[in-house]
Formats: sequence, structure tokens, C-alpha cells
Amino acid sequence: MRKDRPSLRRRCFTLSLLLACASTYALPVKAFPHPQQSNTKEELLALPGEIGRSGGRLIVPLRSEPKTLNPLIAADSSSREVIGAMQADLVHINRATQLTEAALVKSWKISADGLQYTLTLRQGLRFSDGHPLDADDVLFTFRVYLDENVHATQRDLLIVGGKPIAVRKVDAQTLVFQFAKPYGVEERLFDGFAILPRHLLEKPYQEGRLGQLWAPSTPPGEWAGLGPFRLKEYIPGQKLVLERNPYYWKTDAKGNRLPYLEELVFLFVPSADAQVLRFQSGETDIITRLGAENFSALGRQQRGYTMADAGPGLEYNFLFFNLNDLGEKSSADLARKQKWFRDVKFRQAVSAAIDRDAIVRLVYQGRGAALWGPVTPGNRRWVNAAIPHTPRSLDRARTLLKEAGFSWSTVPDGDSALLDPDGKPVEFSILTSSSNADRTKMATLLQDDLKQLGLRVQVVPLEFRSLLDRVTQTKEYDSCLLGLASFDADPNSDLNVWLSNGATHLWNPSQSHPATPWEAEIDRLMEQQLSTPGFDQRKRLYDRVQEILAEDQPMIFLASPDILVGAKNSIANFRPAVLEPYALWNVEQLYFRNSRENASR
Amino acid sequence: MRYLIRRTLHAVFLLLGVSLLTFLFSALTPGNYFDEMRLNPQISPETVAALRAQYQLDRPLPVRYARWLNAAVHGQLGFSFAYNSPVAPLLWIRARNTLFLTVTATLLAWLLALPLGVWSAARFGRLPDRVISWTTASLLVIPDLVLALGLLILAVRTGWFPTGGLLSVGFDELSALQKLGDLARHMALPVVALVLATLPMLVRHVRASVAEVLDAPFLRAALGHGIPYPKLLYRYALRAAANPLLSLFGFSIGTLLSGSLLVEVVMSWPGLGPLLLESILARDLYVVIGGVLLSMIFLVGGNLFADFLLYWADPRIRTAASAK
Amino acid sequence: MTRPPKPTKWLVVLLLLHGIVAAAGFFAPYDPIEQDRERPYFPPMRIHLIDAHGHLHLRPFFYPLRLREGSFDRYEEDTATTIQLRFLASGARYRLLGVVPARLHLFGTAGSRIYLLGSDAYGRDQLSRILYGGQVSLLAGLLGAGVTLLLGALIGVAAGYFGGWRDELLMRLAELFLALPWLYLLFALRAFLPLAVSPLEAFLLVVVVIGMVGWARPARLVRGVVLSAKERDFVRAARGFGASNLYLLQRHILPETASVVLTQAAILVPQFVLAEMTLSFLGLGVPEPTSSWGNLLATLQQYNVLVSYWWMYLPALAIVPFFLGYLSLASALQERASPYKIEEKTNWNLS
Repeated sequence: MRKDRPSLRRRCFTLSLLLACASTYALPVKAFPHPQQSNTKEELLALPGEIGRSGGRLIVPLRSEPKTLNPLIAADSSSREVIGAMQADLVHINRATQLTEAALVKSWKISADGLQYTLTLRQGLRFSDGHPLDADDVLFTFRVYLDENVHATQRDLLIVGGKPIAVRKVDAQTLVFQFAKPYGVEERLFDGFAILPRHLLEKPYQEGRLGQLWAPSTPPGEWAGLGPFRLKEYIPGQKLVLERNPYYWKTDAKGNRLPYLEELVFLFVPSADAQVLRFQSGETDIITRLGAENFSALGRQQRGYTMADAGPGLEYNFLFFNLNDLGEKSSADLARKQKWFRDVKFRQAVSAAIDRDAIVRLVYQGRGAALWGPVTPGNRRWVNAAIPHTPRSLDRARTLLKEAGFSWSTVPDGDSALLDPDGKPVEFSILTSSSNADRTKMATLLQDDLKQLGLRVQVVPLEFRSLLDRVTQTKEYDSCLLGLASFDADPNSDLNVWLSNGATHLWNPSQSHPATPWEAEIDRLMEQQLSTPGFDQRKRLYDRVQEILAEDQPMIFLASPDILVGAKNSIANFRPAVLEPYALWNVEQLYFRNSRENASR
Repeated sequence: MRYLIRRTLHAVFLLLGVSLLTFLFSALTPGNYFDEMRLNPQISPETVAALRAQYQLDRPLPVRYARWLNAAVHGQLGFSFAYNSPVAPLLWIRARNTLFLTVTATLLAWLLALPLGVWSAARFGRLPDRVISWTTASLLVIPDLVLALGLLILAVRTGWFPTGGLLSVGFDELSALQKLGDLARHMALPVVALVLATLPMLVRHVRASVAEVLDAPFLRAALGHGIPYPKLLYRYALRAAANPLLSLFGFSIGTLLSGSLLVEVVMSWPGLGPLLLESILARDLYVVIGGVLLSMIFLVGGNLFADFLLYWADPRIRTAASAK
Repeated sequence: MTRPPKPTKWLVVLLLLHGIVAAAGFFAPYDPIEQDRERPYFPPMRIHLIDAHGHLHLRPFFYPLRLREGSFDRYEEDTATTIQLRFLASGARYRLLGVVPARLHLFGTAGSRIYLLGSDAYGRDQLSRILYGGQVSLLAGLLGAGVTLLLGALIGVAAGYFGGWRDELLMRLAELFLALPWLYLLFALRAFLPLAVSPLEAFLLVVVVIGMVGWARPARLVRGVVLSAKERDFVRAARGFGASNLYLLQRHILPETASVVLTQAAILVPQFVLAEMTLSFLGLGVPEPTSSWGNLLATLQQYNVLVSYWWMYLPALAIVPFFLGYLSLASALQERASPYKIEEKTNWNLS
């Protein structure tokens, strides 16, 4: 109820909602009337696009309350969504183009050996409380993120080649980041690291209180950020109100300071269906993370809102078998089943028997894409188009099973049961998260698909944390249906899923060395692309990874849902993207066409 | 007085027992709050382990319970992992919202149930009684969930009522009268759902108790003496039938905090119910214990209250108690 | 003034209703888990006697529905062909009452499938699912109520009859049980069960556990009755004559509790059916593909189902006669209750 997709991969990146244009458009413009005249010239960022009108209050539903406004410890999606509208990062990934853009820095330079990044901050920027930003704030920010005692969730991202990144200040505007090894991700790394106000946080940091700071109930005076909105009011259980940040560092093409909206209200609406109700009755202005069924139900009775299908997102759903080497601890039953699971022909046969088109049609009402590899069609730059889209074939599945030594028995009832090479019937269970209706539905379809092969499959919906405990801790399961959503298009965001020593290498995590040759090969390719600069070369390596995954099927990829959103007709500049936060990534540019309509609410 | 002390002692033991068992259950339930981070490829297992250690989730259960108990005695109900803040204020605000809703609904339900039940009993077996019986019966067979969902659909289709929440977003800008109206509009649907869910049971109990008393010889005699019927009903019959009703009322009070979970969740009312459900799913242990203890206090308090009411209302019990 | 109570009438009605559900295989036209992926959310088909040309047919028939162009779930009637309805037709295999293998169904068709009450998201026949779902739900209800009453009556009699510290202890325990967060226990239980246990068995186990923890309320009621019964003059007299505990319990006390226990049973069965629905709401209910009234109704939580497919409400209607039956039975039993009601109630409240 509470969350509809608890098994979306937890992205720890704070999602800042920033630029709408490529960095080439980013021109510093002259300072214009400013709430607090300063002597230094402000180097603001001008965005192209429709010129809006100021004012209005945008009401956005949030699935659960933000647990914290502290970017260091935020781990849940609600907190990150809110923080995204309140904070800014040095370099930002444009959610529409999926490319990086200058944000708080006006430029960056990477040395020829790929080890040294020189970043130059914009001049004259101020935090939302009017305090100026300089290199010391950035220095402080990365010191805090890297401090082990702070337990920042994003800390591990700053460890490259086994060593933390070293940051050095050159002058008030210039910083140098030193890497131990070249890093293929390059400047994308900086996306999501919110720059913190040293003047507010240094003292608590020294007192060791940083982890408890900035709960949602923080008085607005004790909070400051660089994002388009700043804290105004928090009412527990009801809403979080943000107001326009008058010091925000972006303008529109005419030089009007952004954001246009006067207030941004996050309304806490706990369930997906309640969100639909609120949106339909006009109590909220935007809705995201819609299921296909609700999307079409809303589309059928449009009343002053528009529904938009942004195309397949980055979420990929898959079935995986328990390939863990449990040694002594393994039960005899599981050991017997693992003999089938480890046979690539068995996995291929299961994959061949699955009707992916039916999944897309019945689960997503056609608003999704069938998958044969981990990269969805929504990730236009990285998807390997050469992976074959083999249609369902029970014959091929039977041939594969026969080759692997399986046979069929005839039961008096007429249904034939699949027998393994030892003559035992083939039965296994699929775990799914009981709170995710889509995945439970997929499992039910799978069950019926496999029944036609003579496989007896039981669907076991478990509450999400119990499921995680089985999959990651006790490892007592046969197979599991899960979904992951890359937070970014870059393959590195999923590094720990594919590396055999990764903690999220779900089918057999944290191996000391790769259990199979193909896992070793994937390890090699992923490590190689990690330190290879240049997109084309990295793409070639990652294409090969996708091929291996499609061939060896450690995960049987199923389908990917479209990103479905809706917004009131009066909202302009609304351009949903397939990356989080789907609709709010350009929140500073959103405006109401008719400001009177809103003033009355 | 001794009775009061004994009851309070019982209550304390009860609370201890509940907290201990909740701790035990939480230990039995697989998974903990930080598990979800394990599915994040960007967070290393070491970081998760460090966080667990920071919140002392790696300590043995007795140690954790002892520490919690010690803090609870000093008025600290522990710390929420998810909200990263103390539990007490978290619970208090939501409990207030829940009480706001349930007190209104309970009062309304009783105010409706008493006259309806008495009327039904007075016309026992005749048309009004049958109509009321069938209405309450059909209300009883409709699951609360379906009822609440139906009301929501009504709200969406007509646009008369908001579809959830406590206050409108622009509440602060309204005048005092408008504020009251806004609150009433938001409360209307959850209150109706709660009243419809509890009313049939109450009406049936009132009807049964009053009907039984009406059969009693002393009332027949009173009727024979020419006491006007309405006076007879409300003055004498209701008073004589008050006994089981008072304990029912105590029960109503006891469930003030826990009885509205489903309605709160469906109608997204910012009360204790959604918070507790979320905390259980997220394994936010101390919030769960705090919430359970709070509802427990209400339950025990409600029973106690009912006992005192009975003591006050029923002379037979008073004599029995003093004889002891 | 009171009419003669007629519990037997309602008992017969209930028996009939349960009979229909028990023989679901015969009354349901199809296997409840058989999917038809071309027909998700198929609306109920209308029975015709007069065709599009105005001709009267003696045998009821249907027009097949076809998907409206470019739509996912909108269908229209195709009057070009007809499907004849056949009574006592041979169809999908099933086991009558879980034992006798059979193929005979009350009705069926020769060609295309018919959906009298529409289909669900997977194109499964809603009528068959409602009938088969009743088997699971009623079993859960009877099982849960049985366990609860057995425990409740035992503990209630023990507490009431022996009194003293034992009574005190048991009643405190009852209060504790009423207040505990059972949700936790249920999650723990479901998560700990081996996955090899079939989901249906796992669910029934969950029901038994809820039944086991629900004893507190009936126990308090039974205790009240026992308390008053053991103070009645003839019981005191019998005790004075040296009757043993066992004799007193068997002869005088247990019969007194029968009416309370039966009434509670009639109230508890529907409550457990409803509990099954709440469990489905929390994801602890009967898992797919097995149907139950709880998970049939749980789909109504989805907003789109609620507003788009009215026939998904029908399971709620199916429950009504059962619940009314149980409710009326409970009332009829209650009206037969002993005239000592007031005393009982005061007693069990002054614990």
C-alpha cells in the first residue's frame, strides 16, 4: 500500500532538478535586480524555452513523508525527491537529454591522464538564506560526505580505485579533484552531491550531530540550500511547503529569475490509488509513477488534465534463480533444484516459454516494452539493439529441456509433468513482493506459461522486507521476481549488479571469485569500461556484457513499464522525462498559464 | 481506592508484557529497517553494517530491551530509524489527528444509536423495527473497506467532498468560518464511514438491551400505573438497560486509537493507523512499540472507565463491591 | 411479546448455500484458474432469447463479444454468430467435493467461452472464481471460528469455574492478547514458513493462528456465563450434595454456555471471512492463482477496477446471502438466550 514499487533500486543520488538546456546554452547574464545587492557580479545561468509568468502554487503528491531533508543520510525516494527541489549539485545530468550540464560550476576540465578534474564555480551565487557560496563550502561538503563517522549514503560513490577522491581548493572559485584511477563516468559523478552550507553545518559537524540534523521539522531559519525552492513549513502527516528561493541562480531567456512558482507543496498521499483520486478531483496538479491501468482509467474521463506517456523508463523486471553456492548449509531439496537452475539450457528454456507480449499487454496494457536484456529501450544511448528479440516458442523450450536431459511423464489427468534427469518432477516457487501488484501479476502469468511446459510453479508473495531477507541474507529461495530501476542511464549505476563480488549481484552476491567463466568475463568487461574514457569504447564493452547476459540468462528479463504521468492543462513547460524525478526535473521552469485560477485555491 | 491501585498495577504489568512481546515479535520477523539499502548498488554492505551498529541493531535483544525500558521509564520512547527523530512527538501529532476523527465519529454514532435502538425496541417486531433491523443487517454485511471505497467514489464523481487529507493546502489563508467549513468537509467522509461501520452494532445492542428490560415486570407495572410511554422509555427503560451499554461504551473508548486504521489508510487521514502500518512494514521498531503502547493505554483506560461508570450507575454492583 | 425463535429455518438456508459452494465444480462452468489472455476484463455476456432479426429461440443463446478496435478492454457484441447455451454439459475436469472426479457442469457452451459474470484481468471466469473462492473463504471462516471458540470456551470455563488467581491470570492474559500487534506475528509467520508449503496451506495456517490468538473475546463471554451459572441455587445445591467438578461442569455449567458459544460461532464465521479480506489487503491473503472472496474483493482497492469494471463488485453481492444467513442465525439464537442476561453482563464486566 505504502509504496507501489518498493523494489525499485534505491538510488542514493539526490536528484536535483536543474537545467533544461545543454551547457553550451549556459551563458552568464548580467546581474539584475536582486533582493540583496552585492558587489560581486552574479554569474547566473540562463535557460532557453518558453517565458512563463510568476506566481502560483504547485501541489504535488508524495507517496510517503520525507524522512529527512538532510542529503547526507537520505535513502528513501520521497526524501530524495524533496531534496532534489531544494538543493543543487556542481554538474548536473539533464533528465531529458541524459547528458551532463554545468550547474553550480560554470566549466570543468579533465586532465589528459584522466586523473585530475578542475572545476570553476559560478561567481556571486548565494544560498537560500543569502549567505554567499564559495569553494570552502564545496570543500566542506566533500569532507563531510567522505567522513566515515557521518555514514553518508553516497560515500561509496566517492571511492574510486579503492581510494577516496582528494579535493583541493585553488582559489575562491576553483577546485581540483584528484582521482587515484581514471574514471569512465567522468563528470556524471558530481550529479546528486548537494553542496552544503558550511556556515550552518560546520559547528554541528564538529560536535558530531550532523546525522541528526535537518529533520523535516527543522525551523526554516536553520536550513539553507542552493535549489530552486527553500523550506517554509512542515506539517507532519500532511504536507511539506516549500517557497521560492529568491537567490536562485537561474534565469529564463529574458533574464527573469527562476523559479516561476511562488510555492511548491508536497502533499503526503500514502497510496497509489489515493493519489489517483486526489489528482482526478483536482486537489493535486501533477501525478507521476502511474500504473498503466490507472493511467487509462484517468485518460477515459479527462477533466482539465492531460495524460502523457514518456515511453519506457529504466526499470527492468526479471526473474532470477538462486545460484548461490551454499555449501553445507544448503538443504537437499534446494541442492537438487540448483542442479537445474545452474544448467543454462534450463534457464534458456524457461525464458523461451515466457510470453513477454502477454506481460506487456495484460500487466501494462501495452504501455511498456518486452525485454531480452537489462537495458531498456528507454536508455537510448546504451541499449544494444543487436540482442535478438526471440518470440515465445514452447517447441524451442522443449528441445532445450530435452537436450538437458529432462523428460515428460503422462499423468492420468492428461497434463504431462516435466521430470528432471533423475526422474523427479520439476517444481519450484517464485517469490514476489506482495505490495507490488504488477510483479505479482507477472508471476501469475509466468506460472501459467510454465504450466504448459509441465513445470509446476508456485507463486509466493512475501512482504518486501521478508523477501529481501530471504534473497540477500538467508538465501533460502528457489527463484524471485524483482525489478530494478537504474537511477541514471550510465552502465556504472548498475556496476554492483553485474560484478560477481557486488552485493547486489542478486543471483549469487558477494562472490570471492567468479563462479562461472561468463561471470568472470562480465567482471573483466565491466572493470575495463570503468576506467576507459570515451563513450564509443565503453559502449562496445557494455554491448558485450548485454550479449553475455542475454545468452546465459542469470536473470530472465521480462518487461519494462512506460513512465506515465499526468498534469493539469494549466501547467506550462511540462516536459516529463524517463529519468527520476520524471515530472519535476524542470520544476523551476514550470508555471501556471492562468495565475488567477490558482490564486483562488 | 485499593481497587484503583490494583487496576493501575495490572495496567503497568500489561504494558510491560506488551512491550516485551512486541520486541520478541520484531526479533522473529525477518528483515530490519536497513535491509532496503542492501538492494541499492551504490551503498556498500559496510555502510549498512555501520548504520545498523549506530542504531545498536547489532546488539542482542535483551540488551536492546533493557536500554529501551530504561529510556521509556525516563519518558523517552526511543528513536525512529526512518524519521531519524524521537518517537514521542511523531506519535503525538498523529494520535491527535486520529482522536479528532474518532471522538467525533464515536459521539455521533452513540447519539444516533440510542434513539434508533430505543425506538426499534419500543416497536419490537413491527415495521420501524424491521426496517431498522434490515438496514443495520445490510450495513453489517458490507465490508468496511467496500463502504469506504464507495464513499470515495462518491467524492470523486460529485466533487462535493475532498478525497482525503485533513486540511486544504490553502488552509492558512482562509477566514475562521471558512476554516471550520474546510475541516468539516474533510472530516465528513471518514466520519461517515466510521459511523456507518459502528452504528449497526451499537443499534443492535441498544435494541436488545432495551427490549429485554421492556419485558421486565417492573416496567409493565410502570406502564400500568400510567407513566407516559416516552418518559418510560428514556427515563426508566434506558436506565435499567444501561448496564451492558456502559461496558460497550467503555469498549468504544478503548478502540478510539486503534479502530479506525482501515478508514484512515483508505481515506489518507494523517492519523496513527497509516503511520503504524508503514512502520511495521519498514521495521521501524520503536515507532511500532510506541504506537502499540499508546493504543494499549486507551484500551485499558476504556475498560477502567467503563467499570467506574458501572459502579456509579448500578446500585447492585456498588453494594456487592462494598460488601467485599 | 417475543416470537418463537426459528434458528432452524436459517440453518437450512445456510446449509443450502454452503452446499452450492461445496459443489462449486458442478455449478461453475470453468476451471477458476484457466486464463484466457485474449479476453481480459470481459464484461458479463447477456443471455438472449430473441436474436437480432427478431426471431425467438427456445434455447437461450449468446452473441460473442469482440474487442473494439484500438482498445484494451472495451468489447462489443458480434451478432453474426450465436453461441448456444447447453445445460448439463460436459466440460472441464473437476473433483466433486474434492473426491469424485467428474466432468458434468450445470451449463456450458459448445464453442467460445461464456462469461456470465464477466472476467478478470487474466480473462478468468468470474462466476467460477466466486464459486470456488467461496470454498476457500468459508473453510477459512469455519476453521478460524472453530479454533477460536474451542480455545475461548476452554479458557473461559476454566477461568469462570475455578475463579481466584487462575481467573485473574487468565483474564489479564486475555487483555494482553486483545492488545498485541498481531500483524507483526503474521508477517513473521508467513516469512518463516518453508516455501515448499503450498500457498493455500500457508494461508490456512495463518487462519488457524489468528483463530488461536482470538480466544480472548469469547473466553470473556463464556466466563461470564459460567460465573453466573455456578452461583445459581440448583448448582449450589448439587455442590452441597457433594457433586464432583466434572459432574457439575458436564451436567449444569457447560449446557448453560451452549447458547453463547453457538451465537458466537454464528458471529465469528463471517468475521473470519472478513478477516481474510483484510489479510488480502495486507498481502497476507490467499495467493494467486487460487481465488477467494477476500482476494476477489481486494482487487477493488485498485482505483481503475473500482471505476472501470462494475462486474468486479459482484463478489461483494455473493457474500451478502451468507452473511445475512449467519447474522439472522445469530439473532435467532440470541433471542433464545437465557433470561439471566443482565446479571451475566454485569459480572463479566466487573472483572
